[in-house]
Amino acid sequence: MPEISKMKKPDVKVVILGDMNVGKTSLLHRYTERKFRDTISTVGGAFYLKQWGPYNISIWDTAGREQFHGLGSMYCRGAAAVILTYDVTSWQSLAELEERFLSLTDTANHDCIYAIVGNKADLTDPRAQLPADPQSPAEGGEPGTGPRVPSACPTPPASPLSPGSPPQQVGREEAAALYGRVLRYKGLDEGSSLPADRMCFETSARTGYNVDLLFETLFDLVLPSILRKRTENQRSPTVDLEDYCEPPGRRRGCC
Amino acid sequence: MSVKAFELVPAVERDLLMGDKARINVECIECCGKHLYVGTNDCFIHHFLLEEVPSQKGGIKYSAQKLQQKYLGLKKPVAELRAASALERLIVLCDGVLFLVDMATLETVPSATGSGGAKIKGVTSFCMNGNPVNTDPFCVEIAVISSRRRTVQVYTVYEDRVQLVKEVTTAEQPSVVSLDGYFLCLALASQYMILNYTTGASQDLFPYNSEERRPIVKRIGREEFLLAAPGGLGMFANAEGVSQRAPVNWSESVIGAAVCFPYVVALDQDFISIHSMLDQQLKQSLAFRDGHILQDFEGKVVLASTKAVYVLVPLPLEQQIQDLLSGDRVEEALVLTEGAQPNIPRDRFQILHRRILQQAGFIQFGQLQFQEAQEYFRKGELDVRELISLYPLLLPPTSSFTRCHPPLHPFADLNHLAQGDLEKVLRCKRFLISYLGSVRGTEASRASREEVDTALLKLYAEQDHESLLDLLASDNTCLLADSSPWLEKHSKFFALGLLYRCNGQDSAALQLWIRVADGELQDSTRPDLYEYIVDFLTFCPNLDLVWRYSDWALKRDPKVGVQIFTKRSSGKDQSGQPMPDDVITYLEKHSPARLLYLEHLVLERRIKKEKFHSLLAVLYLEQVLSLLEGAPPPAPGQLSLARERLQALLRESNLYRVQLLLGKMEGCDQLLLERATLHGKLEDHGKALDILVHQLQDYSSAEAYCLWASSSSSQGAACRQQLLHLLLDMYLGGGAEERRGDLEMAAVDLLNRHGERFDAVRVLSVLPEGWSLQLLKPFLGRAVRTSVHASRTSRLALGLSRAENLQLLHDRLKERKKPILVSEKRGCHLCHNTFSCPDVVCLPGAVPVHTHCIAHRLSDSALNTHADSAPSKHVDSAPNKNSTQNSNHT
Ligand SMILES: Nc1nc2c(ncn2[C@@H]2O[C@H](COP(=O)(O)OP(=O)(O)OP(=O)(O)O)[C@@H](O)[C@H]2O)c(=O)[nH]1
Ligand SMILES: [Mg+2]
Repeated sequence: MPEISKMKKPDVKVVILGDMNVGKTSLLHRYTERKFRDTISTVGGAFYLKQWGPYNISIWDTAGREQFHGLGSMYCRGAAAVILTYDVTSWQSLAELEERFLSLTDTANHDCIYAIVGNKADLTDPRAQLPADPQSPAEGGEPGTGPRVPSACPTPPASPLSPGSPPQQVGREEAAALYGRVLRYKGLDEGSSLPADRMCFETSARTGYNVDLLFETLFDLVLPSILRKRTENQRSPTVDLEDYCEPPGRRRGCC
Repeated sequence: MSVKAFELVPAVERDLLMGDKARINVECIECCGKHLYVGTNDCFIHHFLLEEVPSQKGGIKYSAQKLQQKYLGLKKPVAELRAASALERLIVLCDGVLFLVDMATLETVPSATGSGGAKIKGVTSFCMNGNPVNTDPFCVEIAVISSRRRTVQVYTVYEDRVQLVKEVTTAEQPSVVSLDGYFLCLALASQYMILNYTTGASQDLFPYNSEERRPIVKRIGREEFLLAAPGGLGMFANAEGVSQRAPVNWSESVIGAAVCFPYVVALDQDFISIHSMLDQQLKQSLAFRDGHILQDFEGKVVLASTKAVYVLVPLPLEQQIQDLLSGDRVEEALVLTEGAQPNIPRDRFQILHRRILQQAGFIQFGQLQFQEAQEYFRKGELDVRELISLYPLLLPPTSSFTRCHPPLHPFADLNHLAQGDLEKVLRCKRFLISYLGSVRGTEASRASREEVDTALLKLYAEQDHESLLDLLASDNTCLLADSSPWLEKHSKFFALGLLYRCNGQDSAALQLWIRVADGELQDSTRPDLYEYIVDFLTFCPNLDLVWRYSDWALKRDPKVGVQIFTKRSSGKDQSGQPMPDDVITYLEKHSPARLLYLEHLVLERRIKKEKFHSLLAVLYLEQVLSLLEGAPPPAPGQLSLARERLQALLRESNLYRVQLLLGKMEGCDQLLLERATLHGKLEDHGKALDILVHQLQDYSSAEAYCLWASSSSSQGAACRQQLLHLLLDMYLGGGAEERRGDLEMAAVDLLNRHGERFDAVRVLSVLPEGWSLQLLKPFLGRAVRTSVHASRTSRLALGLSRAENLQLLHDRLKERKKPILVSEKRGCHLCHNTFSCPDVVCLPGAVPVHTHCIAHRLSDSALNTHADSAPSKHVDSAPNKNSTQNSNHT
């Protein structure tokens, strides 16, 4: 039997998890195709190979439907980053992340990084309603209020944008709290991990708000993981003193 | 959906297998080269020879020939069959017993003596290792699921014996097994797992309820398995437990699956579904009744219903791609092509890929999706002539191009494509314009430069496009022969001229343009075509052309036409420029132009050549004379204008032949002023002034004459004084009695106006006695003031010069500020006696002398010269000692 041709082997894997209908497919589609279009509920899973500089990053879009839940840990195996996605208009979708999806990440890399992403921000945040096309960055709100800066006053639930919007919106601080619990679950020290305000995003696949930022932040963060994987693959018994890397987080001080 | 990727071809029909015995079913199959083995539920193995034969339709058919059949004697169905061709054995599972059968004879192989035998009992299922770890070619490795609870065994099978390698237990009862290297991939009761049988390391894959649904574990390649997953998925997993391909969504009740790159083929009870691994889409679905078995053998997918055997024959990749393209499914065709890249030799792939891209481009083009089309054309490196050839008449008949065969698209030409929709045609043309513009000049279109440029030219001309002229003005390879009728048809004569030029046919260009300028041909491209032609001739280096066509330009408008000569580069490099003499000769017939040209030479370029100056003066004079004679009286002002020009030339130029002009003016009483000027040129001032004073009685001109005639002299002031005196004398010398008063008044005026310019003493001596002081008051006032002024000015100048001189001496001394040594041993330079005291005078050059010696010397020279050149008196009163010290320092 002839060997099936191997595909371009990705250097690193990023997995998008989250309940059905939170917009995982739409996010990936917005990022890769720069469009928002109708989706059908994902069956099984799909992935996209992204060329990031000299690296190939595979981004897995998983199915949120309960039926496919069992496949999740397989997708997560060896993942360098996991995007835990909820729907900012659905409290339940945030709760599901902790109840159903967090345990799937047990198979991910030990140094896997986690991002908490509240999608459909266009439904709650006026800033997310502007088209965030990179060609016209001027439209994307004042640069001073960077999206990662935790807003001093959370989106007031009392002023919903449309009268019919669901009442149980999820605020940023709840996402940040979940992030803290994810770290605890992973047995990670909050002090030495990436801070919540860097790893919690509110996005809109519909307008593109923060979508590039999300993916590109993650790609930049997983680069060290790629480099390590590459050196592991060509591991030699000789210790390379030149290549020695200081473990992150511990900086050599003066005396 | 619906790509035709496979064709279902019958291999062994019911008749050959069981005839009309209704109870007999196919249980298992094995295919090894041309040999097909079928195990049935009545414990028979049937052996066929399967030959491929081409069918009339171009595909293939199978003809099966039954070689033999063998009853195994167990009355139980033959559950599984596997061939080990190197051993010439079939491994058979029947009634829970696994044993070996000779491939050729189908005889059961007796156990070798002394070994564990060639039988394994209590087997529920087994598989062969697709990636054996044993290097011995004469054995195969198998994994066996034992009917003992939760046990999997690995055996090595030899020709006549089997040998247990390893036995592992599992947490749950396994039902299906697959083996790759050391990796067992197992379907357990509630999940799939990967188990390394040497290390015992295991990896859970994902949950699956094997009791509810039939699990599938199919090795599809090195360390990669295809598994049936919940929700009707086909999941991929490698030995590390990682999924590297996206799952396909087949169905909940799949019986068997296999991979035939790039497709996943899955068998359901009533149909076969075919998904692409490249985009996970369902590509084809075939009805298949009573589906029972689906297996692939060395890339050949064989299926069986309960009664018959079929082969799923893949259609050639290229045909699949063409099918997709003919359904306008460009994206899919490309995904398929690109996905097949690793399976196709590099150069063949490139050709195929390019072709598909080009076809894709034409499909988009046909749908007027120009942006996409352009992208595909670019990526597919389309020979741009393929596209041009779609547009009628755009390709030059001389082009060697023929369309690629088989054709890249179904269109005969643009009209066929547009079906008479003119709007569409127009859009296509606009696209071609932009496309050609973008490929023009790129390396890719080098070979078809001429076609590209010519097509562009034609399109521009037809569409009245502004870039037509830009194209022709730039470096281009438009074919003249093919383009010129086209340009004529669209009345682009100006452009045609440019094209002639590009082809080095300037003369043809000029002829054409002249016809347009004369209104013989209509082309409104340039309303200023005449000026353009003049400009062209002006900068035309080919003098032949200039001589040939300037005539026309001069005739039409001498003033503009003469620019051909006057605006030519007058820079240093005069080579290749017409000689002015030749031009003048040439312009003989065009006298206004000749005049302008001479003016250009004389007045603008200031060429100092007698011939030009004389000729110009003569021409001016002739003009004046003809105006004077003027049968039709000249317009007012015209004469004076002409005379002014003449006079100016006569005054300003020193090069013309004065006598010649004087001769021509002979007998013309009206040109006295000019004559006076000419006499002036001859320095015959008496005659000149005589004309002015006595004949013209124009005193102001006489006065002006004096100033003018002296202005060119080297000794201006002296000469002027002389002339003024001459004039004064003429005034005072009298003339006719009745004019005496006038002349005297003129004399008084002259004196009073130019008091300072006369030699007052001389004037006083010639003035008539009777003139009152009052009359001459301005003159006298001016004369005295001038004299006083002169005296004061010179004294001032003297003072200033002295001061300057002093300053300079001071500076000089400062420059060479060395101590001046005076000692008893040194002598004075004037008297040569030694110094006795430090008071000395220093001459320039730091020469000390006695004070009395220099005083003496000065009083001597003061008597001889008036010039005051006293040396500065510098007394170095420093004591000797001090001076010596200073000198030591230096
Ligand atoms: N308003 C708004 N709607 C969104 C956004 N993203 C997705 N949606 C909508 O949410 C629905 C679900 O989107 P999907 O991307 O299919 O969700 P999913 O997470 O992939 O769902 P599963 O594949 O079933 O797990 C669709 O109707 C989208 O149109 C968003 O940013 N804003
Ligand atoms: Mg989805």
